[in-house]
Amino acid sequence: MTGAELTIDLLAKHGVNEVFGYPGGAIMPIYDALYGAPVKHYLTRHEQGAGFAAVGFARSTGKLGVCFATSGPGATNLITALADAMMDSVPLLAITGQVPTAAIGSDAFQEVDVLGMSLSCTKHSYMVERAEDLAEILQEAMHLAQSGRPGPVLVDIPKDIQMAQVPFKPWLAADEYLPELDLAQVAIANQLLHDAKQPVAYIGGGVQAANAQNELMQFLTKTQMPAVSTLKALGSVMPQYEYDLGMLGMHGGQAANIAVQECDVLVCIGARFDDRVTGNLAKFAAKAKIIHLDIDAAEVGKRKSAQASLIADLKTSLPALDGVLTPTQWREHNKAMMLKHAWRYDYPGEKVFAPYLLNQLSQRMPQTGVVCCDVGQHQMWVAQHMKFNHPSNHLSSGGAGTMGFGLPAAIGAQVARPNDFVITVSGDGSIMMNIQELATIRRNNLPVKILILDNQRLGMVRQWQELFFDGRYSETNLSDNPDFVQLAGVFGIPGQTITKATEVDDAITALVNSEGPYILHACIDDKENVWPLVPPGAANDEMMTEKA
Amino acid sequence: MKHNLTIALKSQSIAIERFLRVVRHRGFELHNLQLTMVNDQYHVEMSVDSDKPIYLLTTQLSKLIDVKDVIVNDKQHTAVAI
Repeated sequence: MTGAELTIDLLAKHGVNEVFGYPGGAIMPIYDALYGAPVKHYLTRHEQGAGFAAVGFARSTGKLGVCFATSGPGATNLITALADAMMDSVPLLAITGQVPTAAIGSDAFQEVDVLGMSLSCTKHSYMVERAEDLAEILQEAMHLAQSGRPGPVLVDIPKDIQMAQVPFKPWLAADEYLPELDLAQVAIANQLLHDAKQPVAYIGGGVQAANAQNELMQFLTKTQMPAVSTLKALGSVMPQYEYDLGMLGMHGGQAANIAVQECDVLVCIGARFDDRVTGNLAKFAAKAKIIHLDIDAAEVGKRKSAQASLIADLKTSLPALDGVLTPTQWREHNKAMMLKHAWRYDYPGEKVFAPYLLNQLSQRMPQTGVVCCDVGQHQMWVAQHMKFNHPSNHLSSGGAGTMGFGLPAAIGAQVARPNDFVITVSGDGSIMMNIQELATIRRNNLPVKILILDNQRLGMVRQWQELFFDGRYSETNLSDNPDFVQLAGVFGIPGQTITKATEVDDAITALVNSEGPYILHACIDDKENVWPLVPPGAANDEMMTEKA
Repeated sequence: MKHNLTIALKSQSIAIERFLRVVRHRGFELHNLQLTMVNDQYHVEMSVDSDKPIYLLTTQLSKLIDVKDVIVNDKQHTAVAI
């Protein structure tokens, strides 16, 4: 068996039935091995598209996403997707072809030191130096990507090793070092919970990574603790939970941000005190004692000191917490705050109001549907105005904030979940970053829906220019956008453009009922901003609102 | 504040690049580095300087797959090992 054949064989043996990629010179033996193999390959039109499709596949299922690229520019085009997966802890395996071993270091055609480039954007990476190591490396790579705190792993395989005869060596994963729950810390945490008058649960992406939604909901149901979520955690708290305050942070809801600022105990569950969450860190939850639950010891105390740290799998640490019922007064106070600061959709204008459109879409699309966002204003509106019942139904580039994420991620999610409704919500800026993937939708006849909220601007940057740069709108005007419906039509994707509020309801009906791919191009007011907003350097209770 | 660390690493040159990248990126200035091969592993003696607490570096280094052991040798610190 050649190295290339072994690579495909091992993927199949590990349950990888779909991969995303783009062929080229140094990975041709692997593509030759793919020919007729049981592993189905989805050809994207750019390696970044392959990387994000694999991310979408992984995030919508919890399974390993796999992408292929050739050496040199093929591999460098993958780097952004690897960085995105690193920031958001996504289990991803990237396999890149490399020039033959003898040519490495000679500045050969399409030679780039991919291993060197991978260091800052992977959990781990390999370049296979000996054919006899290939089997072990591939098996270890698949294990590492999915174990502990998940993340991207890259395996760079020189062409001669792909072509060499290689032995198969079964590799058994060594028992991974997982910290044992420190019972002394559990006791401190439980004492804090018993003493708490105003506790808040702060939920992060770790809940999905640990597949611990059940454990989370058991804890919340017992404690009735008000809960706030990061962007990545949205969907972890079931929508019917009475004390779900929604997203916190820079564009979080006022009830969520104020609750955290007022709380006396903050239970951080698989989150990392990201700067977009905390605002001014010194003023963040300043009165609170912190209980931090995370599998990654490096996250505890990195940005905010904890009084109790439970470093373990959330499936272990969450059940160790006592189900102390939250005082009634605090619960009722937060319910009242939710009502006081509830989102309003009675927009007076005649134009399409994006929050209303998204809220209606959320109510009318299937509950099992997947929403894949791009990055910018529309991303925050989705987080604010759509409801999810599982984090695998809301794919949003969180840590890296990568424009161009949405369309290829939706392709990956649709491949992974062919019977589910999958939609990308994008902006007129973001959609153009990976627009070539419309060809991938057409080639595979994927029923991916596309919603473009078009303000003819790089809206979030424009908003900041308006608020913090004296209205100097440098390079954010996109009024020369193409006709997006016509553009999609070239790829055989039907759709329509709407410009008025009165057209929204019928347009959603057409979108939701369309059987194949469909594009809804919604033109919105170019001056619309995302509110509320915690300005740079401010505390989270110093929010700017529309009337300010 | 200056800290002295002893690190055991997989004996591959990429392991050196990988852990030094983390030292730089996490805001620790490298003052001294000695590298020897002991029992098929790299043995590293290193001193770094930073105004950040040393655990912010040791927890990051301990996560690296190539890093087998991290020990802080400062008198005021308890040794940290993985």
